[in-house]
Amino acid sequence: MKKLVALLMTMSMAVSLAACGNSDTQENTGNVAETSQAQESSSAEASTSVEAPAEKQDVSLTMWGAEEEQAMLQSMIDSFKEHYADYANFDIQLGVESESTAKDTILTDVEAAADVYAFASDQLIDLVKAGALLSIDSMDEALQAYAGKSVADVESANATGSVEAATYEDTLYAFPMSADNGYFLYYDSSVLTEEDVASWDSLLAAADAAGKKVAMTLASGWYNASFFYGAGFTTGLNDDGSTSIDWNGTADVSGVEVVQAMLDITGNSAFLAVADGDISNQIASGTLCAAVSGTWDATAAQEAFGDGYAATKLPTFTVGEQQIQQGSVAGFKLVGVNAYSQNAGWAALLADWITNEENQAIRFEQREIGPSNNNVAASDAVMSNVAIAALSEQSAYGVVQVVGGNYWDPTATFGEMIAQGSLNRDDAAAIQEALDTLVEGVSAPTQ
Amino acid sequence: MSQVKKGLQAFFGAVGSFFKEFGQAAAKGDLFVKLSLIWMGAGYIRRKQFVKGILMTIFEVAVIWYTLGFAMEYVPKFSTLGTVQQESVFNIATMQTEFNDYDHSFMILLFSLISFVVWAIFAVVYLYNIVAVYRLQKRAEAGLHINTFKEDMKEYINKKFYVTLLALPVTGIVVFTVIPLLVLILVAFTNYDQQHMPPSSLFTWVGFENFKSLFSSGGLTITFGYAFGKILVWTLVWAVFATITTYIGGILLSMLINSKKTKLPKLWRTLFVITIAVPQFVSLLLVRNFFANNGIFNTFCASIGLTDWFRDIGLISTSYIPFLSANGWAHVMIILINIWIGVPYQMLIATGVLMNIPTEQLESARIDGATPRQTFIHITMPYVLFVTGPTLVTDFVKNINNFNVIYLLTDGVFVTTDQLMANSQAKETDLLITWLFNLTQNYYNFKMASTIGIVVFVICAVFTLIAFSRFLKGDREEAFR
Amino acid sequence: MKKTINLILRHVLLAFLAFIWLIPIVWLLVTSFSAYTGMNTSTFFPEEWSAVNYKNLLFSADSVAQFPNWFKNTFIIACFTCVISTIFVLMVAYATSCMRFKMRKPLMNVGVILNLFPGVLSMIAVYFILRTLDLTNTHLGLILVYSAGAGLGYLIAKGFFDTIPTSLREAAYLDGASEATIFWKVVIPMSRPIIVYTVISSFLVPWMDFVYAKMMLNSGISSQWTVAIGLYNMLDKSLINTYFTQFCAGGVLVSIPISALFVIMQKFYVEGVTGGSVKG
Repeated sequence: MKKLVALLMTMSMAVSLAACGNSDTQENTGNVAETSQAQESSSAEASTSVEAPAEKQDVSLTMWGAEEEQAMLQSMIDSFKEHYADYANFDIQLGVESESTAKDTILTDVEAAADVYAFASDQLIDLVKAGALLSIDSMDEALQAYAGKSVADVESANATGSVEAATYEDTLYAFPMSADNGYFLYYDSSVLTEEDVASWDSLLAAADAAGKKVAMTLASGWYNASFFYGAGFTTGLNDDGSTSIDWNGTADVSGVEVVQAMLDITGNSAFLAVADGDISNQIASGTLCAAVSGTWDATAAQEAFGDGYAATKLPTFTVGEQQIQQGSVAGFKLVGVNAYSQNAGWAALLADWITNEENQAIRFEQREIGPSNNNVAASDAVMSNVAIAALSEQSAYGVVQVVGGNYWDPTATFGEMIAQGSLNRDDAAAIQEALDTLVEGVSAPTQ
Repeated sequence: MSQVKKGLQAFFGAVGSFFKEFGQAAAKGDLFVKLSLIWMGAGYIRRKQFVKGILMTIFEVAVIWYTLGFAMEYVPKFSTLGTVQQESVFNIATMQTEFNDYDHSFMILLFSLISFVVWAIFAVVYLYNIVAVYRLQKRAEAGLHINTFKEDMKEYINKKFYVTLLALPVTGIVVFTVIPLLVLILVAFTNYDQQHMPPSSLFTWVGFENFKSLFSSGGLTITFGYAFGKILVWTLVWAVFATITTYIGGILLSMLINSKKTKLPKLWRTLFVITIAVPQFVSLLLVRNFFANNGIFNTFCASIGLTDWFRDIGLISTSYIPFLSANGWAHVMIILINIWIGVPYQMLIATGVLMNIPTEQLESARIDGATPRQTFIHITMPYVLFVTGPTLVTDFVKNINNFNVIYLLTDGVFVTTDQLMANSQAKETDLLITWLFNLTQNYYNFKMASTIGIVVFVICAVFTLIAFSRFLKGDREEAFR
Repeated sequence: MKKTINLILRHVLLAFLAFIWLIPIVWLLVTSFSAYTGMNTSTFFPEEWSAVNYKNLLFSADSVAQFPNWFKNTFIIACFTCVISTIFVLMVAYATSCMRFKMRKPLMNVGVILNLFPGVLSMIAVYFILRTLDLTNTHLGLILVYSAGAGLGYLIAKGFFDTIPTSLREAAYLDGASEATIFWKVVIPMSRPIIVYTVISSFLVPWMDFVYAKMMLNSGISSQWTVAIGLYNMLDKSLINTYFTQFCAGGVLVSIPISALFVIMQKFYVEGVTGGSVKG
């Protein structure tokens, strides 16, 4: 007689499920009705375009930003509400989501993610492919009507690289917020001279003489690609979502030669390979005289190097007789609109607001974050910032990295092999084989 | 084997006789029994069991309501998992995006499954209902007493008390464990991956494709088979070592502490137990930083010259000791750190066991002139083994699925130098479970993760079945009563 | 003479082991009192001592560190979880240990099999079930996640109930007591150790779990988080250098109540575990 157990179970389940199913449908129909109503009421006013509507819309939005920026973002939201107070009643909720992990949280459940979110530019492709980003191009009309600018204006106001990083297949998918997500060289000018930091050879020799170390992360495809990009190699995306990569071939020099140059650097006792994310610790520990990192470590570097704090573009590396300028990945922070956002129009306006010229200026003032906006970037204050100056110097050699999901693990492993010295510099055949395997792994079709 | 056969026979026998009774009821029942085929409460109402009749009716209506109002939206799409791609239009007038009525493959999968479970339960209740009503009819015809609702309810705190006890826990398990598991099994037969992520795109059934790509190592670039083999070996090695080391360590430590010669046993025990009190994610992350390449322990080793000595004898080629970042080193360290984590738990368990050793045996052994060593080997050890043997098996299974230790110690620290592993998003220190967690969290490769999950399960199940039949011969439940 | 040496050796060995076991704990403690906010890699003891981490953690909440909120959330979740889990476990254990019914063996076998499945995988399905019920981002949802399946962990409690002599229950039965009465009046009062054991182990779950909690509480509102997500989040690449010592301080604060619980309940805990593991 399991009847009652079964009965109770089904009952409770059926009732709860049915109840929620029902409420769902009700909600939906409710929404539809609301929408059509709103449509009717506002279509009457559509002719008057941006005149304040007689009856203000209730607009609720959620936004995610980095932990460190919460207070600043809140004040930007407040100014946004004030600015558009005539058009709608806003209820905007600000949540915490690190820009570097935004993708993971969003893709778990796009429909539950925030309407507006900030993310690092390397996540753009995955987000677009998962349908999590709204095309900003489709918001052109809304921007023109309320913000008084077109998408083209947004594109021309920001640095070319940042727009390129926010664009996929000729469609703009996000607003550039900052241009600081790249790396360059911090150094201690009391130990190293400007000539020393021009090339890896002289840099390492001077560091060795001073008994200090030079640190760089190698076990990450974001950092180690800099050598390959510098030598003219490329990465890209195929139509089926897999990554195209040519590192096992020959560009300006052959891939093997680049690896050999990297092995020369890692083989030097003054070089310190650090785990991804551990670099700030290393800078703070005081054993370094130079480190490859980005603006996020500016404070740590300033503290560690004191008066000697300086930054510049990355050095050149040696292939045979040739000096090759090390490239880098030009990274940006972007703000996107969730494709599943109900109030997409206002979400796009909010995203535009927090990335506009004034707010990029505020962002720089408060947190020393390098702006992507051309006007702000050209201001004296920004130009005189050591780290940002170095970054913009390096940006001439920066590449917007376009890769698929299978790029990261194989390249991290490849970097680790070089860091640990498990490849022999003189064994060109083995290096070629490793490069071939790398290319094979990276270009495998995405699952 | 014969046991299984007997069990199956009994099961099918029971099912057979049940359906026989159902057939009888449907054929020979009176009008109200037959009416119960449509209106489930009818038979009870006829026998004046009104409350039961009403409850049954409500149940029937609820299921029908659920079916028509909810299930029908999803179940018909189960065979394709949806066909309507999401589309949206932006409306400048309302500043809102309008969506079409798009299909969400995962929701279709999930809700269809829930519906199947609901219907299966309904079917069982329905069949039982007819039989029960027929039995009522026979009782009434024989002039026997028919229970009132109150009497029925009393049964549930008495003879059928187990029904009351199990109702809620079983419901919880069904909703939060069984249904998710079934979903997981089904996902292994679909192409749910980064290219097919709902809600923006649909996924569909692919049959056994995923199992094929897991077990074929000759695949073009997807080296899943290779990675799977390596990870499986390490998973088993890890589970064996982790289980045995903490088990033996725990017993030895508790004997050391509980020996009569040791002063202040409580204090010692408390010192070790404190390590359990710090949440694992705190203590493990801390230990991982402790042993980091540039961490404090490396600083210490370098300052006493250990690092240089290791380099001189060729044990390491780096300027630090790669405790958690190199193949081999990391494996050993993980097992050692696990001893640190696991021994206090085992010590607590062993303490309890040792306290309960039948003293007569020890006493008589002492009188017979046995040395402490002999007593230990011939009495204490066999007793402890006998009592805790079964926990060894469950510990082993737990270690196969030991997510925390491996994930917290190696995630983001250990980078593999095996390119073939990297091409499958795996690393040497991964257990099957951490690998598949990584596949779902960072690569959204749900189809392969589910496939691996099923394989992990089969391995665990086979092991447990063998081990349990070895360790637990017969039913030991009554042995100590 | 030999005996004394033996005695000394024994205690030296114990002290040595305890030393090893306590190093990380001591490191946690001293780091939490460091004035430097990042990770200390050169010395074991901080160069500058300060209680500022505790002060920041407890009294000046920012969006990253809202420890008092997290502590409160986790505490509430833990209380409900342990009440529900304990009740479920005891109910299932009594039904499978003290009662006999047709489906008992099959149900127990199914339970064993269910325990073998890797839980992290079905997380996504659990998430969507909760979302359908509109329970994500609520503490009720997390409580359900932690306690709804608790019935599966009945084995140890069942083992304990198995050791309770049948004669006791039979006597009560002859006195006309119902099964429910026996459960409440006879078996439960005798099961203090196993109840304590179950309470402790289920109370700990919400303090330790960061995987499920992170997935279920995904609105980004940090005041809703549990201690585990909050502390784990502090180790984010961009935060670790500012928050590492606060992370340690948080770890210490969390372990204080838990260790107190352990020390007080140690005796019962040991009895509970053993009583149960005797029968596995």
